Amino acid sequence: MASTATTKRLNLHEWFKTITFYEILVGMKATLSHLLNYRPVTLQYPHEKRTLPDNYRGMLALLRYDDGTEKCVGCDLCEAACPSRVIRVVSAEVPDEPTKRYSKEYYMDMTRCLFCGMCVDACPVDALGMTREFEWAVYDKRQLHLNKQQLLAIGDRSFPVREKRLELQHPNVAFFNVAFKHVPPKPD
Amino acid sequence: MTEFGLRLAISMTQIAAVMGVVVITVLILTLAERKVLGWMQDRMGPMEVGPYGILQPFADAIKLFFKEDIVPAGANKFLFTMAPILCLIPAFIGFAVIPWGPNQTFEVGGITVRPFVISDINIGILYILAFASLGAYGIILGGWASNSKYSLLGGLRSAAQIISYELNVGLSIVGVLILGGSLSLVKITDAQAGGFWNWYLFALPAPQIFAFVVYVISSVAETNRVPFDLPEAESELVAGFFTEYSGLRFAFFFLAEYANMVLVSCVAAAMFLGGWNAPYPGTIMAFIGLPSLAWVENTMWFAVKTYSFLFLFFWLRATLPRLRYDQLMRFGWKVLLPIALGNIVVTALAVFFYQQMK
Repeated sequence: MASTATTKRLNLHEWFKTITFYEILVGMKATLSHLLNYRPVTLQYPHEKRTLPDNYRGMLALLRYDDGTEKCVGCDLCEAACPSRVIRVVSAEVPDEPTKRYSKEYYMDMTRCLFCGMCVDACPVDALGMTREFEWAVYDKRQLHLNKQQLLAIGDRSFPVREKRLELQHPNVAFFNVAFKHVPPKPD
Repeated sequence: MTEFGLRLAISMTQIAAVMGVVVITVLILTLAERKVLGWMQDRMGPMEVGPYGILQPFADAIKLFFKEDIVPAGANKFLFTMAPILCLIPAFIGFAVIPWGPNQTFEVGGITVRPFVISDINIGILYILAFASLGAYGIILGGWASNSKYSLLGGLRSAAQIISYELNVGLSIVGVLILGGSLSLVKITDAQAGGFWNWYLFALPAPQIFAFVVYVISSVAETNRVPFDLPEAESELVAGFFTEYSGLRFAFFFLAEYANMVLVSCVAAAMFLGGWNAPYPGTIMAFIGLPSLAWVENTMWFAVKTYSFLFLFFWLRATLPRLRYDQLMRFGWKVLLPIALGNIVVTALAVFFYQQMK
């Protein structure tokens, strides 16, 4: 009881602080110091853009080899890995090459994509890539249902440096899903 | 008839000039507030329209002008239309008695003209207070006629707040009136000539420092500014009494709020800070031999004082959070009112004994 009475009573020092608006003046000093040492943290976004981190996960894209052929082998692993069922793959044999498969159709519904990158991890031939594009605001959300040509186009503009075909990168390793005419002759 | 016509023309010119200055000031204020607030919060404020965003007020004006004017279903159309006008007119009409510059006269075709005050009526400050109270009607009617619970709550809050704090504004000014011995703003300003020690904020025998603090706080509350912006508390009441307003009617409310800010700043400058008087005796222009240009310096001082006071509004807005409603009422009635009344007693006694001694 006595303690509450002593805490409620203001001493002279606190009275002085109250009538001179000390606490408010401290706050006003803080805001004024920010006005005088004006260092804005704003980035004028459309005019200047921030540097993206190296592992930035942006728009997804399908990639090609350096000879212009698609990397995708139509294995459906990305479709299986995707947690929000963005991807739909229609796999098919390459005409006239019965050992080789490819994705006849490849759809991504980017309205659902959460940019987790699991499809990129799942791809056995690194056919998927995450670009640094993020300005994909559209007026019609059907424009975000991308087909294979669109995804390949994104990959073409975002990854100008392409890999060689796997069998050319590693001549002594056996690969499945490879057209025989591409296999280099064995050294004698 | 020609004399009447001439008087009318001169008055109309003065009114047009004052209205123009006030509207331009409001345009500057809308930009300055966003800029200053942004700078204080480490932001940039508007940057897009024009270089550094200086054309933003014009873009806002054009936008408001072309926006659709919506009258909500169930609204009282007449009062809904009247409310912004009722809010705007009292805000602008007070500028009629504000002295912008020195109390000098010149002759035009046999008519004595006072260029820096539209009309020097002998109850100037009462006239301003009376019309400032009328502005509350616009807010309340706007809140009620919108047929929206947010608007109604904002209007009711505003009514209680403006009535409570009008009292403190009026009482805090009484000390100055005792010292000045007049209700006319021109006479009050003239009495403060000759250096900042003659301003009623510092003047002997009774410096009005406490009255000034009460006036500052009450005027912030009266113009519904942060930290007393309960009538338009956006986190509780959407936008308060102008929730349902759009387009030009919203612009009227907006204009009225800023014009009220300018008005209370002008009154503060005229009553407490010496009006157009420089903080040193006389003027520099007269000192260097150009007494005919002294009015430039004097009006500049008035502008400096008014704009400093307006800067204080922005500064408080950047610093302080909103008060709770019971805190607002308790602060107004239990803290500010006794201080204002005590100030009147002290000032009256001081002036009485000062005159007895002389």
